[in-house]
Amino acid sequence: MARKAIWLFVLLLILTPLLSGCWNRRELNDLAIVAAVGIDTVKGKYLVTVQVVDPGEVASRRGSIGLSPVTTYHETGDTVFEAIRKMTTVTPRKLYFSHLRIFVIGEELARKGMGEVLDLMSRDQEGRTDFYIVVAKDTTAQQVLNILTPIEKIPASKLYASLEVSAKSWAPTVAVQLDELITNIVSPGIQATLTGIMIDGDPEMGSKRKNIETPETPTHIQYKGIAIFREDKLVGWMNEEESKGFSNITDRLHSTVVETTCPKGGKLAIEVIRSKAAIKAKVKNGQPEAEVVMYTEANVADVECKVKLTTSQTLYEIEKAAEAVMQKHAERAVLKAQKMKCDVFGFGDAVHRAAPGYWRGNKEHWDEQFSKMKIRFNVDVKIRRIGTIGESFLNDLKE
Amino acid sequence: MKEKKEKQPQTSSQNLKEQALKEKSIMASLPDNLELIRQQLGNSSDIVIRQVGLPGEIAWAVVYTDGLADKQLVSEFILESAMLHDRVKEESKHDPASISPQLLASNVLAIGETKEISNFGQLFTSLLSGESVVLVDGHAAAITAGTRGWRDRGISETLTETVVRGPKEAFTETLRTNTAMIRRKIKDPNLWLETRQIGRVTGTEVSVMFIKGIAEDKVVEEVRIRLERIDIDGILESGYIEELIQDETYTPFPTIYNSERPDVVAAELLEGKIAILVDGTPMVLIVPALFVSFLHSAEDYYHRFDISTLIRILRYIGVFIALFGPSLYVAITTYHQEMIPTQLLYSLAAQREGIPFPAFIEAIMMEVAFEILREAGLRMPRSIGPAVSIVGTLVIGQAAVEAGIISAAMVIVVSTTAIASFVFPSYSLANTMRMLRFPLMGLAATFGLYGIIIGTFAIVLHVSSLRSFGVPYMGPFAPLIISDQKDAIFRMPHWAQVTRPKLMNRNNKRRQQKPASAKPKP
Repeated sequence: MARKAIWLFVLLLILTPLLSGCWNRRELNDLAIVAAVGIDTVKGKYLVTVQVVDPGEVASRRGSIGLSPVTTYHETGDTVFEAIRKMTTVTPRKLYFSHLRIFVIGEELARKGMGEVLDLMSRDQEGRTDFYIVVAKDTTAQQVLNILTPIEKIPASKLYASLEVSAKSWAPTVAVQLDELITNIVSPGIQATLTGIMIDGDPEMGSKRKNIETPETPTHIQYKGIAIFREDKLVGWMNEEESKGFSNITDRLHSTVVETTCPKGGKLAIEVIRSKAAIKAKVKNGQPEAEVVMYTEANVADVECKVKLTTSQTLYEIEKAAEAVMQKHAERAVLKAQKMKCDVFGFGDAVHRAAPGYWRGNKEHWDEQFSKMKIRFNVDVKIRRIGTIGESFLNDLKE
Repeated sequence: MKEKKEKQPQTSSQNLKEQALKEKSIMASLPDNLELIRQQLGNSSDIVIRQVGLPGEIAWAVVYTDGLADKQLVSEFILESAMLHDRVKEESKHDPASISPQLLASNVLAIGETKEISNFGQLFTSLLSGESVVLVDGHAAAITAGTRGWRDRGISETLTETVVRGPKEAFTETLRTNTAMIRRKIKDPNLWLETRQIGRVTGTEVSVMFIKGIAEDKVVEEVRIRLERIDIDGILESGYIEELIQDETYTPFPTIYNSERPDVVAAELLEGKIAILVDGTPMVLIVPALFVSFLHSAEDYYHRFDISTLIRILRYIGVFIALFGPSLYVAITTYHQEMIPTQLLYSLAAQREGIPFPAFIEAIMMEVAFEILREAGLRMPRSIGPAVSIVGTLVIGQAAVEAGIISAAMVIVVSTTAIASFVFPSYSLANTMRMLRFPLMGLAATFGLYGIIIGTFAIVLHVSSLRSFGVPYMGPFAPLIISDQKDAIFRMPHWAQVTRPKLMNRNNKRRQQKPASAKPKP
């Protein structure tokens, strides 16, 4: 009896995996790996564009036969999800979103409000929320995703990599992921920002294979400017200098180039190697105030003038000049934001931390308060190294 | 169970006959005795009966088995010494009856090992194991002389447990040689040896070897009891004994260790384990066995401790790969693609383009093909070896990938797994891993990583429940014994191994008296 029961149990145990039927099994070659998603709005509907990778074209060792490494599909729908599912009528395989690298929002949609489309991405269980979100500037997401790029065969990977690199070493771009974006949208003390992506050249040309056949690509895609959002609506753009200032104030600056003038004219570039910024807020006489303390360490990178680098006096002067430039960038960024009444820096959060009582009474109309807020800067630049040579050989030129 | 009881009477009547013969005393009449021997052995041609004496008055005879007994010994030290012995010559002329077997044994035979026996059971045992039997007319007793000497393979280098540094010799098929090899390593009077014959028909000699005072008495007693319980017609290899005495039959894990290296056996004896040597095989059983000992190589103790430890860790990684390699690949590529780095995913997906089979079928095909190759490599005649391996490499490695039947990544996974399964010093554990790999692959294909975790749980629960002669199999991990960690994953320097493993010893724990005395002075 006991023996029969054991055998029955073993039989059931063996049958369980067989009968379960591998319900969620997908082979790698059943997936259409989506590298990028773009969403635009067209006549009140969503136009969803997906960039699907053709792995055979990307990773094959035998050399590609000249097909496009990616394919884009687009479809309209009343909701994003509907459009995506509708796409199965054109895609050969089911779209697979886990390896999404970049999410492009069309400028028009961004101006109308992008909140609705973000919900799907954060709700879907298939998604891995480590992709970056950018806004198509002066163009549509669909067009951006149609541009072919050289070297990095998959345009989405190119977008992903160059955003990461430029945010780290050039600064006027921000690499924003979904969680941060949603937090910033809903938080009253800070507004959201996204980097803009532009098409430089003819979009029609960029979608042809010809685009990557010549050393100089006729059309390329480039990050430019930072978009300022009020809640989920785009309200304006910051230019490059403002963007640098923005990165610096929000402590996103890892490394960048600061261009200053030499004491006796000419240009000199320093490379920021370490930077730290903190916003200190307080409420004085019922008015909010903030001080931004920025501490930056830099190396001399590029001397294009005659200057005696090996004296501390010169270095001190360079430091001062760099401080002035950095402060100017930051001031401009703040000015722009104040003009738009959009606190993208998180001064609101700083006030919240410093004076919770004041914040409770004023958070409803913080935008107004922010536009009138007094903000001081305390910039400190320290030159650490001057590179592998001492004096510039330019000094020896007779001219 | 019932059937066995019904059969009992039949066999017992036969048993009684055999029993009667065994206990039959040797008769006084020499011709009668010889006749009985001839009859019982069916006049086998390899039994040599040499009768000595004047024609018509045969005084005594030597019986031995040709091939098992050393002919030179028999002729030089039994026949020659007896025939030329003055007193025997003298007496045989006058009073042949006065030559007693005892006289022969004590005074005449120039053989080291002699024994007086009185019944036919002992006579046949001695005769068939190579000893010579001397029977004297008129005396109801016989003398056996130790003339064992047959052709054997000789001590050769170990084939299954090779080392770079350390002794190269391996056990042989001859029990006595094997015991001698251990004795040569442990010259201690406490190294005890108990020999018994097991196997109704084969009468195989099985020796239990242990160091009195280090080995736990209870375990020794348990080994005796379990060996005593064996009732089988033949023991041809130590695998028979292993299966008959192990704690748990229905387990894929080996609970008895085996080795063909005398140094390994000596080391285990010193830790308080018990060796079971079986005549006719170089594989010596060691009980109780721990899971960790299957991952220890003799060489771990001969190299410096740091490299030994690292190599042990490498082996544990090998275990992990051998067990989980293909199943992890199947689970991740069919269920958890989001876990693969993006670039790797593209490359894996590209490799899978056009592969007609699901990853699981692919993996099973490759694994089965590999197992077939491996088995073929073991069984086929040596001379065709290269042909098979070339065909195997070409078919599996290259043609299958180029034909687009198997993806290149799968070939890498399966071959890595295959290589990883060869890092085990013990072949029996490698077989276990080989066996468990397949159900794990099934689980991975049906439930993904979740299935692998279920399988792992089942395996861990199972091994934790195993015992080998009362010792927990997973010790010193479960139960966790901190002091025994010195020789589990890590191999501490010899001067730091002051005590013997706690699991094996309760009374004689110390290996060294003063822990620091052996430590090199700075």
